[in-house]
Amino acid sequence: MYRYDEFDQQLVNERVAQFSGQVARRIKGELSEDAFKPLRLMNGLYLQLHAYMLRVAIPYGTLSARQMRKLAHIARTYDKGYGHFTTRQNIQYNWPKLAEIPDILNELAEVEMHAIQTSGNCIRNITADQYAGVIEGEVEDPRITAEIMRQWSSFHPEFSYLPRKFKIAVTAHKNDRAAIRFHDIGLVAVKRDIGEKNYEIGYEVHVGGGLGRTPFIAKKIRDFVPKAQLLAYLEAIMRVYNMLGRRDNLFKARIKILVHEIGEDEMRRLVEAEFAHIDAAKILAVPKQELDRIGAYFAPPNYESLPAESDILDKARSTDKAFDHWVQTNIVDHKIKGYAIVNISLKPIGGVPGDANAEQMDAIADIASQYSLDEIRVTHEQNLVLPYVKKHDLKNVYDMLAAQNLATPNLGLISDSIACPGLDYCELANARSIPLAQEISQRFADLDRQYDIGELKVKISGCINACGHHHVGHIGILGVDKKGTEFYQLSLGGAGDETASIGQITGPAFTGDEIVDAVEKLVTSYIDLRQPGERFLDTYRRVGLTPFKEQLYAPD
Amino acid sequence: MPLIKDKQFVDDPFTQIDDQAALPDSPVIVSLARLQTEAQTLAARNQPLGVIIRADNIGKTKAGENVRDLTDYLPILSLVALEFPEFRNGRGFSAARILRDELHFTGEIRAVGEVAFDQWAFMMRCGINAFEVGAHVTLAQFSEALGELSKAYQPACDDKKPILWRR
Repeated sequence: MYRYDEFDQQLVNERVAQFSGQVARRIKGELSEDAFKPLRLMNGLYLQLHAYMLRVAIPYGTLSARQMRKLAHIARTYDKGYGHFTTRQNIQYNWPKLAEIPDILNELAEVEMHAIQTSGNCIRNITADQYAGVIEGEVEDPRITAEIMRQWSSFHPEFSYLPRKFKIAVTAHKNDRAAIRFHDIGLVAVKRDIGEKNYEIGYEVHVGGGLGRTPFIAKKIRDFVPKAQLLAYLEAIMRVYNMLGRRDNLFKARIKILVHEIGEDEMRRLVEAEFAHIDAAKILAVPKQELDRIGAYFAPPNYESLPAESDILDKARSTDKAFDHWVQTNIVDHKIKGYAIVNISLKPIGGVPGDANAEQMDAIADIASQYSLDEIRVTHEQNLVLPYVKKHDLKNVYDMLAAQNLATPNLGLISDSIACPGLDYCELANARSIPLAQEISQRFADLDRQYDIGELKVKISGCINACGHHHVGHIGILGVDKKGTEFYQLSLGGAGDETASIGQITGPAFTGDEIVDAVEKLVTSYIDLRQPGERFLDTYRRVGLTPFKEQLYAPD
Repeated sequence: MPLIKDKQFVDDPFTQIDDQAALPDSPVIVSLARLQTEAQTLAARNQPLGVIIRADNIGKTKAGENVRDLTDYLPILSLVALEFPEFRNGRGFSAARILRDELHFTGEIRAVGEVAFDQWAFMMRCGINAFEVGAHVTLAQFSEALGELSKAYQPACDDKKPILWRR
C-alpha cells in the first residue's frame, strides 16, 4: 500500500500544527464558534448532538495493521472504547474532547493518517472498490488513480470553498462495489483498443449522482478520458461546478442539481470547453515516473504458489457447520489461486452497524499481520476486508474473528444492513436508525431463514439526508418526524451497483412499533412471489411495486 | 480598507465608483455593466482602469458575473477586483485562475469582501496578488498564513513546484 514520503508527512504535520493553533485559540476564546466552524470542518471535526465528532480519513479504504492498532489506541484513550466505520470508508469517533483533538491528530500523523477534508465544502476522501487489486477481472488496481486524486485534491487552492461537499469514487471493475453512480464524480477505469492487440487505460466519467433529499443517478458524460488527461478533465468538471453551482440554497448546491437543471448535454458541453482550455496548458499531466512510483506501491505482493483448493479448508468445513456457513457467505474468490478475500461483518446480530471496539480493532490488526500481509480494507457497506488470506489459513482466521464476535456469516444478507448514526448521535436526524437495524437483525437472526431469503440489502437513514443510503436499498427505510413522533417510510427496488436504481416509496409511513413487521411482510411477499434463483431485487424488478404494496397495506 | 499587494502594504490609488457617479481624474474601479457600456470613454482616459466582478447569487443562473465577459476588455484593464461576498463563496478562486491561466491577464487581481486569514494562501496560489484586509491585520500575520503549508501537491498559478511533479 501507499507509504508517505517526506513531502506527504511534512504537509500533514504542518496541517496538524496549524489546526492545533486554531483549537488553542478557540479554547482561549480568541475564536468564536462561528469563526471556528469553517476551520474545524476542514479538519473533520463536527459538533454533534452530544459532543464533538472526529471523522478520520481512510483513503480508498486501505489500512495497514499498524494504522488499525492506532485507531484502536485512539478509541481506547480518547473515546469510549470504540469507533464507527462509515459508508465512505472513514472512521468516526463520537466522543473526543476538543482539548485532546491536537493529540489525536498528532497520533494519527505518526501512522500517516489525518482528518483533513473529511468534512467541509471541499473534495472529500476518495473512495474505491474494497476488492481493489485482488478481485479477478479488474482493468488495473483503482487505488493508483485514487492515490493520485488524493494528492491532487489535498489542499486544492481552487476547490476548497465549493458550493457544497464533493465526493469522488473510482472502480476498475464492471461490478460496481463503490456506488460510483451515486457520487458527484464516479470513475470506471476501462481499456481502449489502440490496435495491434495493444490497449490503453482510461476512465469512463459519471457526474452528478447522489443521494440526500433529491437522489440522482450520475450521468455518463465521457466514455473515455485518457489517463494522462484525467486531472485536467477533473479540474474542468470542478471548475464548471465551482463557477455555476448554486450557492443561494444549501439544498440545491450539489453538482447533481446543476447537472439536473442545465441538463446532461449542456454539462458535457461546458466541461469539454473548460477541458479544452485546461488541457491546452499541459500542466496537469502527471509525469510517467511519478505514475510509476505511485503504481509500485500497489504492485501485487509476492504471492506463494498454492494449490487451488485446500484440504485443511475442506476438512474444517465438513466438520464445523458454523465455519462452513461463514466460508459460504463471507468469503469471495481471490484472483490468485489458493488465496481468499475475507469479509469481516461489522453487523453482529443486535449490534450497531459499522461499530468496532478497541479490542476488536486490535484483534483485526493482529490477524492482518499474521494472515493478510498486514492489510485491511474498509467497505462502503460498513464492513471490513482481509484481502490476502490463504485458503488453508481460513479456519485460523475464523477462530480468531469468532473469539471477538467478528465472524457473523451475513454478508449481503438481510441482517447486513447499512444504518446512519441517526437520532442517537446526529443533530440532523428525525428518527433513530441504529435501534431499528438492531431490531431487524434480531427478527431475522435465524441463519437458515436468512439464507433462504438470500441477498437483501436493507439501508436505513434517520433523515432525508440519506447517510444510510436508503434510496439504494433493496428495502430502504427513511426515518421521518411527524409532529414529534418517529415514523418510517419504506422504499423498494433501489440498487447502488452497476444496475443503479432509486427505490420507490411504498406509501404511508409506519410507526416505530410497526416497521419491523412491515419489513417482514415485504420479505414474506417476496418469498411468495419469487421464481427460482431470483433475489429480492430481481423479483421486485419483474413484478413491480403493486404486489408488494397490496400485502404491505392489507388489513390484518 | 488597508491593501496588501505583492506581500506588502501599499496605498490604494483606486476608487470604486457607482455606475451613475462622474469619473474623477484618478484610477477607478467600475462595475462590469459600466465597463461594457462605456468602454470607449473609459479607455480614452489617461488613468488606470479597474473592474469589479460580483460573485453573489445574481443573474438568471444565480452564478454571479462571468469573468470571461472581460475577455475583450483586458487590454484596457489594469486591475480586476474579485468579490468574495461571504467566506464560503469560493467562485472567485476559479475566476482568478481563468484570468491568469486562460485569459493570460497580467495585471492586478484583487480579492475584496469577506476574505479570511485562512484563504490568503490559496488565493495567492490561484493568481490573486492583492488583498483588502481588516484594519487589525499585520504583515506578520499575512506571512504566517502564507507559510502554514510549505508545499503544494498540484500545480496552480504560482511558482510552487507541485509535489506530484517533482519527486
